[in-house]
Amino acid sequence: MPAFLRVLLLLLTSHVRQWPLRTVLTIVGVALGVSASVAVRTANVDVLRSFEQAVMTVAGPTTLEVSGGETGLDEQVITRIRRIAGVTSASPVILQTVVRMEGGQADQAVQVVGLDLLAEVDTRGFRLNQPAKDNQLLDMIQPQAVFLGAQLATDWNLSVDDELDLLIGTGRLTCRVAGILHNESDRTSSWERMAVMDIAAAQITFQMVGKVDRIDLVTDENMAVEDVAQTLRTVLPPHMTVERPANRTRQVEQMVRAFRLNLTILSWVGLLVGMFLIYNTMAFAVAQRRREIGIYRAIGMTQSRVAVLFLMEAGLFGCVGGIVGSAAGMALAQELVTLLSRTISDLYVPVGAGEGGLFRTGRFWSMMLEGIAIGCVVSMIGAVGPSVDASRTATVRALAPGDYEASRQLRTGMLAVMGVSLLVITGILSLPGPIGGVAVSGYAATLSLLAGLACLAPLCVTGWSRRRRYVGREGGVQGVMRGIAVEHASRSPGRNGVTVSALMVGLAIMIGVLVMVRSFRHTVELWVTDTVLADVVVAPSMWLRGTEIGDAGRSLPPTWLKVLSSIPDVAAVDSYRDVRIEVNGQRVAVVSRDLRLHAQWSRYLVRKGDSSEQLRRAAETRGLLVSEVLADRLGVEEGSTLEVMTPSGPVQFPIVAVFYDYSTDGGKLLMDRALYQSLWHDDLVTVFPVYVSPGSSLDRVRERITDQLRVATGGGLPPLVISNTELRKEILDIFDRTFLLTYVLEAIAVVIAMLGIVNTLVTSVLERRREFSTLRAIGGSAEQIRQLVLWEAAYLGMIGITLGLIGGGVLSLLLIKVINKQSFGWTIQMIVPIGAVIQAVVLAAIATLVAGYFPARWAARQPIIDGLREE
Amino acid sequence: MVTALRDVNLEMKPGEFCAFVGPSGCGKSTLLNLVAGLDLPTSGEIVLDGRSTRNLTGYEWTKIRRETIGIVFQAFHLVHGLTAEENIALPLMLRGENGRETAQRVEDMLERVGMSHRRKHRPAELSGGEQQRIAIARALAHGPRLLLADEPTGNIDSHQGAGIMSLIRELAISGGQTVLLVTHSLAAAQAADYVWTMRDGRLVSRTERTTELVTP
Repeated sequence: MPAFLRVLLLLLTSHVRQWPLRTVLTIVGVALGVSASVAVRTANVDVLRSFEQAVMTVAGPTTLEVSGGETGLDEQVITRIRRIAGVTSASPVILQTVVRMEGGQADQAVQVVGLDLLAEVDTRGFRLNQPAKDNQLLDMIQPQAVFLGAQLATDWNLSVDDELDLLIGTGRLTCRVAGILHNESDRTSSWERMAVMDIAAAQITFQMVGKVDRIDLVTDENMAVEDVAQTLRTVLPPHMTVERPANRTRQVEQMVRAFRLNLTILSWVGLLVGMFLIYNTMAFAVAQRRREIGIYRAIGMTQSRVAVLFLMEAGLFGCVGGIVGSAAGMALAQELVTLLSRTISDLYVPVGAGEGGLFRTGRFWSMMLEGIAIGCVVSMIGAVGPSVDASRTATVRALAPGDYEASRQLRTGMLAVMGVSLLVITGILSLPGPIGGVAVSGYAATLSLLAGLACLAPLCVTGWSRRRRYVGREGGVQGVMRGIAVEHASRSPGRNGVTVSALMVGLAIMIGVLVMVRSFRHTVELWVTDTVLADVVVAPSMWLRGTEIGDAGRSLPPTWLKVLSSIPDVAAVDSYRDVRIEVNGQRVAVVSRDLRLHAQWSRYLVRKGDSSEQLRRAAETRGLLVSEVLADRLGVEEGSTLEVMTPSGPVQFPIVAVFYDYSTDGGKLLMDRALYQSLWHDDLVTVFPVYVSPGSSLDRVRERITDQLRVATGGGLPPLVISNTELRKEILDIFDRTFLLTYVLEAIAVVIAMLGIVNTLVTSVLERRREFSTLRAIGGSAEQIRQLVLWEAAYLGMIGITLGLIGGGVLSLLLIKVINKQSFGWTIQMIVPIGAVIQAVVLAAIATLVAGYFPARWAARQPIIDGLREE
Repeated sequence: MVTALRDVNLEMKPGEFCAFVGPSGCGKSTLLNLVAGLDLPTSGEIVLDGRSTRNLTGYEWTKIRRETIGIVFQAFHLVHGLTAEENIALPLMLRGENGRETAQRVEDMLERVGMSHRRKHRPAELSGGEQQRIAIARALAHGPRLLLADEPTGNIDSHQGAGIMSLIRELAISGGQTVLLVTHSLAAAQAADYVWTMRDGRLVSRTERTTELVTP
């Protein structure tokens, strides 16, 4: 080992032994920051990898996929495709989700892949374990024959020839386990968690006779895949898409990009706050060892090596914090991935909950290394300032008697000017638009805001300690204690400024996000109240599981319209259909309903004009209503036209109105049901909104609907008959679930900020042992010493909270008006949730005092005589 | 374990000024710390005002220091952030007193130690001698009956040291305080009524003030 490294190690171990508590606090702070970042990154990767794995597993050797969107493809297309040069094979695929029924209750959702089993049994990477029978091939293609993935069969305790109850859409089907599906290689794959049926059986089961979801192609190895794709695009109808399987993962990535980016950035807040903690620790270490540095310099250590010494120490903290944080982060990610996949499934596309196979895939070590690297880099960045300061130590002054630190003045004025300049820059940065759909300048403005306020913190620490006269004031014992505490805090504007900044960042983000989320929730509540007016909604039984249940589970037969309309006290029934298509590369929801009926009974929050009038006009002119998000993304407005590729060819639609919508961030097109049916040839219905006659009993109508439809489901689960209140609650529940993770990440940042306060106060207490002992010696009680430390905590807390409130207010504006608008496009009506903000402030204040309590207790318990001996 | 004091038996009467001299490590500061309740004896007993201190709690010792004892330290131990007058007022404030009477008492003490003109200065702005005067004023501000002085001239030059010792004697006599002085300075010990010489934790000899002191 090089001599310098040996010296370094020697010094490091001695410092760690000298200040074990501070070392632990710092490492815990870094570990928390790293854990949040690693957890979100792992969960993000895991969720998408799970999706990708499923896509690629099913795809097998497929080089191109032909798809017709959610409404499927006519199977006759296969014949045309097979004739095209370069296509070696074309196989039909049905991909649907069913729900297993267990004791009459809906259990786990599982993907069922319909394949031409006779032709493809050896091509997709699985093998079928089927008992030897005379009629084995016939058995394979029987309508109720399903092959279960090995893992599923184990989980459900099923074996060959066992019966399995499945919920398919609104109907129930009893299948027979025809065989077990194993992966061809020894590695685990998604096949083990899927079910497979023969294509013909799947067509019957999912009521898709004559239709398929997709056609998978294997192209000639000697031809470029893109050339074959180009030929296919010219030959096939324009609404059909031809793409590589991997494109689907990229599309999903693109779809959830803004969501993931915001989550990732929020997970970095902990690291940012952790950086303040490291700065604080290292600044203290430098101050504490000033004389030691003088000695190093005197005996020949170069300036750069002094800096490296401190940087390496911070790096070591970061490394240990990184190891602990990575391990904790990956453990946390196992919980997070469920929440995240649920949220992505709620809002975007169905994704699995991940396999959690970190160890198996080798990603454990790569994530561990990444966490360690993050910890080291963040720590070393935080330590740059103190390390440079250490390297510039004036040797003579450091070795001379007296207080080196007291002779140094922090340029609080200069920092304040920088702070104000940064706040001005924040304003300027909030003006430009997004770059490539990412609110780059918005994020930069946030960083500038927090940096600006951090620069103002030292001035606040010194500026508020205005001298007051304590002697002669009645009841001034508390006053003088406060005075001593404040005076002492103001003596170290640099270190305390950093602590205050850490608290400020934590609280500002907490308040900023809180105001944004509450404002968003308020806006959604208003939107729900104004637009969700149907008294009852009839939906597929698994509808509340969102996209998880697949397309088959999200549609109802159109014949139910007549059944529902005939029920007494039902005044009107609408047929609402929601399918996803692509418009100009954007995944968009096409919603169709009876616009005239909707105009009469309900409304949309249109940007201009009257809702009823615009809805009727759209029905009459075969026009569209476009959601605000989509209008902004496509650059269209009221009066312009939009070309949409339909199964009947490209159609130019006039845009009648733009409406506010918060149900999806991909955007929404609304058209009359008759127009949709004529173009998409799709009669299915997603839900039936039902309007009840005035004065009639809602409960009674609900009962009648349930009774009537139970018969129609043929023994399946009865459909959901949800009241308006329940539906609104469900929408808000999904909203709250989406932001649950946000609160967890915020809490981590605040905990790290609290560790910063503990760190500072421990430092302060260590430095002031003699002062405390003096006070004890002249008659001060242990309780009074405790109060003194708590007052100091309160003072720093007060400044941090004040700056945090200012920062939080501005941050909420940036989040609502700039970042959210640029990332998602929603217009959010800003409200200030006074009660919640007060709660956050009280929480921060209590946390500050709790953080101050332990150093205070420790200070009060120190032996007086030890403190008086210290020089 | 090191035994700091052994066989130390002595009694001080009210109003007496007693000095303890001896080489470094002889146990004189330990003796003072025990009397102040800053340290606790492993065996033996200290009786203050006829009351045994053997079973006193930490808070009871705090009350005794607050009401009965004043301490002057070698390193002054003033609170850096406070002005001279605030430092003097501190023991009174710690007792919960801070009315007009306190202000008057601080004023008196400043005058008696000759520091009225430096009342608004902070410790860092005062010389060693001035800081020690403020420390003496602080030790006497609450009218203790026992003044403990631990090397009060140890951190100041001999000229200022003489002034400090005469100030302690003058104030103690006028206030009727009992003084226990610990010093290695024979010159400082001259201010006492009698001097105990210590060595290796034991009391070696007692010398009355009238006698010429010799280096122990």
